[in-house]
Amino acid sequence: MATATPLPDTIQDILGIGGFAGELLSMLLGAALVGTIMLTMTAFAGPWAKRKITAAFTDRISVNRIGPMGLGTIIVDAVRLLSKELIIPEGADRPAYDIAPVVLAGSALLAFAVIPMGNGIHLADPETGLVFVFAIASIASLGLLMGGYASNNKYSLLGGLRAVAQNIAYEIPLVVTAASVVLFTGSLQMSEIVAAQTVELVTIAGIRIPAWFAFVNPFAFVLFMIANLAEVGRNPFDTPEAPTEIVGGYQTEYSSVYFVLFYLGEFVHIFLGGAIIATLFLGGPAGPFLPGFVWFTIKIWAVFLFTQWCRSAVPRVRIDQIIEIGWKGLLVLSFANLLLTAVILGVLGL
Amino acid sequence: MIGLLKGMATTMKHALDGETFTVEYPEEAPEVSPRFRGVHKFSQERCIWCRQCENVCPNDTIQIVTDKQRNGEQYNLHVGQCIYCRLCEEVCPVDAILLTENFEFTGDTKHDLVFNKEQLKNVPWYNDLDPLASREPDRGSWVGEGEGEVDYQ
Amino acid sequence: MSTYEERNVEPPTTESGDVDGDAIEALLGDHVLDREEHLNADAYVVRADAVQDVLQTLKDDAGFDHLSCVTAEEHEDRFESIYHLKQYDDPTNEVSIVVPTSREEPVSESAAPVFRTADWHEREAYDLVGVQYDDHPNLERILLPDTWQGHPLGLDYNQDKPQIVTFEENKNPLEDHARGGEDSDTMFLNIGPHHPATHGVLHVETVLDGEQVADVNPDIGYLHRCEEQMAQKGTYRYQIMPYPDRWDYGPGGIINEWAYARAAEDLADIEVPEYAQVIRTMGSEMCRIACHLLATATFALDLYGDFTAIFMYGMRDREIVQNLLEDLTGQRMMFNYLRLGGVVWDIPEPRDEYFENVRDFLDDLPAKLDEYHDLITENEIFQSRCVDTGYLDPEVAKNYGVTGPVARGSGIDYDLRRDDSYGYYDELEWDVVTEDGGDNFARLLVRMREIEQSARIIEQCVDLLEDWPEDERNIQANVPRTLKPEAGKETYRAVEGAKGELGIYIRADGTEKPGRFKIRSPAFSNLSALKEMSTGEYIPDLVATLGSLDVILGEVDR
Repeated sequence: MATATPLPDTIQDILGIGGFAGELLSMLLGAALVGTIMLTMTAFAGPWAKRKITAAFTDRISVNRIGPMGLGTIIVDAVRLLSKELIIPEGADRPAYDIAPVVLAGSALLAFAVIPMGNGIHLADPETGLVFVFAIASIASLGLLMGGYASNNKYSLLGGLRAVAQNIAYEIPLVVTAASVVLFTGSLQMSEIVAAQTVELVTIAGIRIPAWFAFVNPFAFVLFMIANLAEVGRNPFDTPEAPTEIVGGYQTEYSSVYFVLFYLGEFVHIFLGGAIIATLFLGGPAGPFLPGFVWFTIKIWAVFLFTQWCRSAVPRVRIDQIIEIGWKGLLVLSFANLLLTAVILGVLGL
Repeated sequence: MIGLLKGMATTMKHALDGETFTVEYPEEAPEVSPRFRGVHKFSQERCIWCRQCENVCPNDTIQIVTDKQRNGEQYNLHVGQCIYCRLCEEVCPVDAILLTENFEFTGDTKHDLVFNKEQLKNVPWYNDLDPLASREPDRGSWVGEGEGEVDYQ
Repeated sequence: MSTYEERNVEPPTTESGDVDGDAIEALLGDHVLDREEHLNADAYVVRADAVQDVLQTLKDDAGFDHLSCVTAEEHEDRFESIYHLKQYDDPTNEVSIVVPTSREEPVSESAAPVFRTADWHEREAYDLVGVQYDDHPNLERILLPDTWQGHPLGLDYNQDKPQIVTFEENKNPLEDHARGGEDSDTMFLNIGPHHPATHGVLHVETVLDGEQVADVNPDIGYLHRCEEQMAQKGTYRYQIMPYPDRWDYGPGGIINEWAYARAAEDLADIEVPEYAQVIRTMGSEMCRIACHLLATATFALDLYGDFTAIFMYGMRDREIVQNLLEDLTGQRMMFNYLRLGGVVWDIPEPRDEYFENVRDFLDDLPAKLDEYHDLITENEIFQSRCVDTGYLDPEVAKNYGVTGPVARGSGIDYDLRRDDSYGYYDELEWDVVTEDGGDNFARLLVRMREIEQSARIIEQCVDLLEDWPEDERNIQANVPRTLKPEAGKETYRAVEGAKGELGIYIRADGTEKPGRFKIRSPAFSNLSALKEMSTGEYIPDLVATLGSLDVILGEVDR
């Protein structure tokens, strides 16, 4: 279970350094720890897990030459990508071109600050945690737009515009659906939301089923999963990249380190989506037997697996259809969900 | 929605059955059919220097040099330029040029792929398969004749 | 089947059912200067300034609604453009219009206002041979770069002269950047030649209004490999046959070889033994399955994105067909299996094992097709992407000379295997597949259903081959090593390729090599209709439509 003490305070206690210097140091150490955890996961996901998963769906073998199960390919790929030449297109709008990858990767990482990952790994627990997550996560679309616009490439521009149009269309259903969860908890604080899910929902044949909001309100869960796919830009909503249509979208002109940052940022973003889903709907780090952090990792990897599964099996929706689904479908449904939840909660007097 | 889920179920079925259809080359050699047309093998002992192969070759891959008495001096074949149509084997009256099933050949430059008659002679038989046995069984080849050191480069 | 209104104009025929030459000559009246006999049809030599009149008359009053091909060639004393006309309802009704022009002033009237397909064909004729067409909407080079000097298939073309072009002379691909002025709302976008979804090196010049396509113009020629000229430099008997494999490398190799074989056998008057015809039929249907599987797989790739599983499943199944073809022909794509007068080898020994492999494949096929239907056609998102996008009206399709699955997807019941039968097709039980949708979805369905029909054909061929008496297994007719068809003999013959009507025109000049060898590529004509299908739709639909056309650039550019 998530402890009430945030991680920096725990570190400061261990280090035993007081004052502002100690606070700063422990904050930095805590942030570094969380950042390292997420980037390590991304390193597994990007060059290795994604290939293995895609290969499984497509009946192929995939990476297996370097290291056990091909895990060495992570290092090899890192060296390969970092040693490539950084090509900056003529007429690129700098420094926007340079900032964009940092914005994308940074915004996704920053949002992890308020996610309770179990075993006390929780950097901060502000009262407006949920709002903070959504606010920070949507900065990513600014990064996409900057990258798309600054690249001086028409495909990039189209990709950037698509990203923004899509994110606006899906951010609102996402937040509104999350609001229906907040109705249950009555708090925007992440630890409160997790705590609200520890109570027992029902007990079937001796197995205690916790009140995870995925069980309490499955409709909201499904809505959130779909909106999340669009938010992180994965099939069927991967139009901002859409390699077969607009080459690579916003990242067409990025190479070497910048490309790695974009690439990492995308994966961190998928994991962030998974983390939000885990926290809001799947009880955060809760689970039997195993430590909380392991459960948390399993949950966000399950969401990652789901995105990859969709990638293999679901066709990409056309951009106008996406906007239509977003504004005419999901938005209406999410408001209906919010309204119904509010009415039911009111009637039941919970 | 049903169709969508069907598609997802089908891909998941493929993911879970663990079967793969790609193979780990080169540990696992791909199956090459007995008729497969690969790198040429040439026998100077058999060749009568009639130049039929040189004439029939559609893109001038074969180059033959003879002296004034029509004695063969050179037989050069550019395996990188060749389109593996097997017309040279088809017109050869004495089966002096054959296409083995060998498909693995490399070179650092395209010039490495110009084979002279010695190199062509040293192209190994593929798994000791007689290339003609499955193509034109009434024409015997010469597996075992004139074995030599294998030297690709 | 067809839902569109048919203009029931039938060509005048004689009692035996052939086209009545005299009636046509009477119809054309004064325009006719002379009559020639081509092996496939009567040819009428007409005045260079009456082309539109003549073609319009033939189209409206004699029912020749299919301009199959335009061949241009240069003779010692004149240029000639030959318009090969057919009828969609019965392609055995053929007529050729020969338009001679002087060498000094090779200008004749363009047929583009009558048949839209003539637009591209005449551009090619201008590009390669040098005939000029009056009244042509856009007479530019099509296969060669704009800076090319000379016309390579002309008689006085100097091959050794290097084509040196400075960088500045080349057209700037971004020149049209702000088409319509600075204030214009549109954006010019080059899709290709290096784009993940153009199926090769196709360059589509696109004008976008937002994300909507305001105008498209396919720019081809990046994969031009002088296939026609190479055929003109090869001998009939051996040297031409390896090259057709390289046109449609889908792999439609055996079908392509058959196109050449059909024309050359017609020219040299060679009878093909029945046994060889059955093997040819089986081989080309295998190629068709392989091509259609590839088309389905890549179409899914265009719609799903680059991580789709369907592409690999398609490749996996195509692999089985390729293994069967490898066992039969000795190569996986570049078969070189057909010979004039038959095929090069019999079924591989042990025959039973081969037939068993083929049967295994055919037995597994229905389950696999069901899987594709689960994955693709029944998917609601997929349907919403494909239904009613890339619509091609049947009349427009005919005007553009569209054939093959693309035409059949628009409800045009046209299949040369049945309508102008060759090989063993008329002895077998199978159906021509048509769909009325005219959209991307219909074209996909046609291909998937044609796989089933091809499987039927193969099954019957295997039955026939198994029971064929051993002493009658004649795989090749007796054909001399050197073939020299008489000078002046001309023919145009087509087969039903995986992409549509694949036609070959050969004029013999009395030597062992063709005087003129012209390839009518189905994908070339189909691609020219892209503009009609994509204007007004979104970029993703343009990509999907391109995928549904199933163009192989090797065949388009030759």
